[in-house]
Amino acid sequence: MAPGAASKETAVSKAPSPEKASWFLVSPLVLVLGVFLVLPILTIVTVSFWDYNEYNFFPAFILENYSYLLTSQVTLATYLKTFKFMALTWVFCAVIGFTVAYFLAFHVRSLPMQVVLFLICTVPFWTSNIIRMISWIPFLGRNGIANSTLISAGVIDEPLEWLLFSDFAVVLAFVHLYCLFMVVPIFNTMMRIDRSLIEAARDAGASGFQILTNVIIPLTKPGIMIGSIFVVTLVMGDFITVRFMSGGQSASVGRVISNEIALLQYPAAAASAVVLLITVLIMIGIMMRFVDIRKEL
Amino acid sequence: MEPRSRSFYVLAGVFGLFVLFLYGPILTIGVLSFQGPGGGLTFPMNGVSLHWFFDLFEQQAVGDIWGSFRRSFALGLMVMVVTVVVSVMGGLAFRRRFRGSTALFYLIVASLIIPSILISLGVGLIFNILDFDVHWSTSGFGAQLTWTLPFGLLIMFAVFNRFDKSYEEAARDLGASSWQTIRHVVLPIIAPSLIGVALFGFTLSYDEFARTLLTAGSHNTLPLEIVGMTTNVTSPVLYALGTLTTVFSFLMIGSFLLLVIFLKRRRAGAGSDAGKGMV
Amino acid sequence: MTTGTGKTRINRRSLLKGAAATAGLAVGAGAVTGFPTVWAQNIKNVTLRQFGTGVSNLNEVAAKVKEDLGFTLEMTALDSDSVTQRAATQPKSFDIADIEYWICKKVWGAGNLQAMDTSKIKNYDKIVGTFRSGKLTPDSVIAQGTAPHTVGFVEGPEGKTFVDNESGWMTLIPTIYNADTLGIRPDLIGRLIESWTELLNPEFKGKASILDISSIGIMDAAMVCEAMGEVQYGDKGNMTKEEIDKTMAIFTEAKKNGQFRAFWKSFDESVNLMSSGEVVIQSMWSPAITAVRSKGIPCVYQPLKEGYRSWGGGLGLSANLSGIELDAAYEYINWYLSGWVGGFLMRQGYYSAVPETSKNFMTEDEWGYWFEGKTAQKDIVNPQGKVMEKAGAVRDGGSFYDRMGAVACWNAVMDENKYMVRKWNEFIAA
Repeated sequence: MAPGAASKETAVSKAPSPEKASWFLVSPLVLVLGVFLVLPILTIVTVSFWDYNEYNFFPAFILENYSYLLTSQVTLATYLKTFKFMALTWVFCAVIGFTVAYFLAFHVRSLPMQVVLFLICTVPFWTSNIIRMISWIPFLGRNGIANSTLISAGVIDEPLEWLLFSDFAVVLAFVHLYCLFMVVPIFNTMMRIDRSLIEAARDAGASGFQILTNVIIPLTKPGIMIGSIFVVTLVMGDFITVRFMSGGQSASVGRVISNEIALLQYPAAAASAVVLLITVLIMIGIMMRFVDIRKEL
Repeated sequence: MEPRSRSFYVLAGVFGLFVLFLYGPILTIGVLSFQGPGGGLTFPMNGVSLHWFFDLFEQQAVGDIWGSFRRSFALGLMVMVVTVVVSVMGGLAFRRRFRGSTALFYLIVASLIIPSILISLGVGLIFNILDFDVHWSTSGFGAQLTWTLPFGLLIMFAVFNRFDKSYEEAARDLGASSWQTIRHVVLPIIAPSLIGVALFGFTLSYDEFARTLLTAGSHNTLPLEIVGMTTNVTSPVLYALGTLTTVFSFLMIGSFLLLVIFLKRRRAGAGSDAGKGMV
Repeated sequence: MTTGTGKTRINRRSLLKGAAATAGLAVGAGAVTGFPTVWAQNIKNVTLRQFGTGVSNLNEVAAKVKEDLGFTLEMTALDSDSVTQRAATQPKSFDIADIEYWICKKVWGAGNLQAMDTSKIKNYDKIVGTFRSGKLTPDSVIAQGTAPHTVGFVEGPEGKTFVDNESGWMTLIPTIYNADTLGIRPDLIGRLIESWTELLNPEFKGKASILDISSIGIMDAAMVCEAMGEVQYGDKGNMTKEEIDKTMAIFTEAKKNGQFRAFWKSFDESVNLMSSGEVVIQSMWSPAITAVRSKGIPCVYQPLKEGYRSWGGGLGLSANLSGIELDAAYEYINWYLSGWVGGFLMRQGYYSAVPETSKNFMTEDEWGYWFEGKTAQKDIVNPQGKVMEKAGAVRDGGSFYDRMGAVACWNAVMDENKYMVRKWNEFIAA
């Protein structure tokens, strides 16, 4: 693009051959997603109809992978369990995420301070999740910090068994891992709220609570939605957190897939994956109905 | 500055609790990393020592902590840089509709919501079929990008949707070329968000397990190596690694703070309004 | 392969004929010297990539290989699932696979491994009978399940199917193996445990655990169900669908009643569960017991009247290996069986496939304690010099022949494996 030509334009959108420029700009993206996303998915969909033996899978066209999956009672139970984890995690993440983001966006006044507080929240994530997961055992275990603190404080007499290797532990770990995924997008949208709107509402006599429910929450909805998409997706596909925190006793959809992969039953895993993918797509599709992400980002 | 309201202190308290919650495991790790030489990964403490911090720099019975750490760190940086660059480019492109933009947008969303293990499986299979070697820097790298790119892009979309175009127009009116506008006007304004994208990119990559599981090849990244190490007796050396990571991170944040303060002073001198072009 | 010697392969064959013989002798003597210079120089550039679980993928072994043989051995430790995956699907990512026999049964057909010529294995004749004829002693009864000798041989270098005789072509060179049983915390149980049934005893509700690797876990489960008299198996190592259903039904009910505190998948988890007191009785591996005990926490590898469940591991060669790398790999395997590694691993509680060579690398007291089941005269230390057992201790279960002789079954891959795995997953999900 010649500098002279551009200077006559008033905005990028009117630059010569914008179509080409756009395509040039997204070409690396298309390349990465094409090779590492589209191709793998196509492979998986194809493989889900293949047959397999102990160590190998081979081209065929069978529906057995799906028919087993869709008729097995375990599938339903597993999905229900995963939905339960997802719903609980989502509620906690949304409430905590909103509160934290609200604090960061409206009460922390300088950008560097916000960045620093974000960094402080990020630091725990630089210690490998696997190590952190192992460390929940001494924290929540029968003789762990939580129980011994509660016992010495006289709150309980017997150690609480359900702190570790339970649904509670799974949800706790999920919230711990994914809350930040809720904080960031909500914070982002909150930062874009025009402060004069809040002033206007206050001048019109709205209480703090009314401002929150009538101004801030509606305007933050896109952020909440994006955060929710993150959380829903992450929980639906997780396998390692559920395994560690439930002590291997709870199943989740992701675990079923990872088990099948581990046992080299790739076509079965692929079929499970396709079903999971469709489920997630439907859920996200429904969520996107409430908010047009593209418009409101 | 107006005085802080009561709700500030309440919310600050909530935030404090949230941070405490995030640091819960880190605290346990911190305490247990000072286990005595005979101690294990769980309570009770078996004496107090710095043994495991020294041990961390010795060769372990199983696994190669520092080799895998270097790989993970390098991979994290690679992913970070590519994520920032591609996200910014994508963000710029998506400021207007173009043929296929809707499809591409949904592809990005799809990339985000595809369970990690599938990417791992799919990429591993493709490399196998094409007879390429899986390696953390090729297949592992690509697999991780499908995860970090959507994050980066969504942030960039959000940023550009709220971008005040009048700054650009002003630049153009002053005769700046497209590139000059981007380089001197757009990038400085979106710079703070880029830090967020970079941070996300690095963190997501550094800690990624599932996507690298089947795509790392013969050399493990740190999360994979740690899981591998748990197939033998692991020691509080892992905790020592965690504690050191945290301490190191704080040092980094400290230097970042100093840098910001320094830049601010310089900027104040130059009278720049970078970073303020968002509405 | 990273060798840097690709162009020096001419005339290698003729050169190696002499070299291999010399090497064999040298290895047998426990010290590697006297290679022709060219060969010694070439082999130093070889890098072999080995993967396996952390059980035997120890850095000290790699260091010793560098010292004794001159070439580089890269070790990658993975969990058992990843090990299986890599062996089956990523043939190019490794040169040597350190896998278990049941994994071998699963992945051999994928064609990623090549059979080994036993005539090149110096100590082949000294490998314990379990891995050759299947019989530990001439009058032993072969246990149920995937016994190593049943998947140890194929008909030829390209063989795809297993044969039941010592054909001269071995799938895996056996390295270590052991007899597994239940681990218990005697201080928290406070009474005698002598049967597998105790795993499901309601007394230990919420304090029991079993391992979640289906091929191994199902065998533990079968040992329990058989001991309870609930299920009679034709062959535990090759169950019928009905037997699988019955077994899993019993365990599913126990799970729903809260019998299990957790399921573990990696070695380390079992150690943490036991030492933190979360679990007092569980399936466990011998070195895990030692690890718990070395923290000063009492833990017993309880011999049970129904016998042991056994497992064995070995080294397999990648089908991609050829030329000097292949020779280096044989070199390595001969070295492996020549005693140092055996001694190293036996001092951690495993058994070596060639005990008699290992004996040279252990003190009499260590040999007495670990192999012969004798009382330790002095403190027993592990290879890193840490005290594992105090003087006066006796190994749980006694001598090698007492323990390996009482094996009731091996970890197994069954004909109905696909079905079993599904049922196992349902059990985990229940």
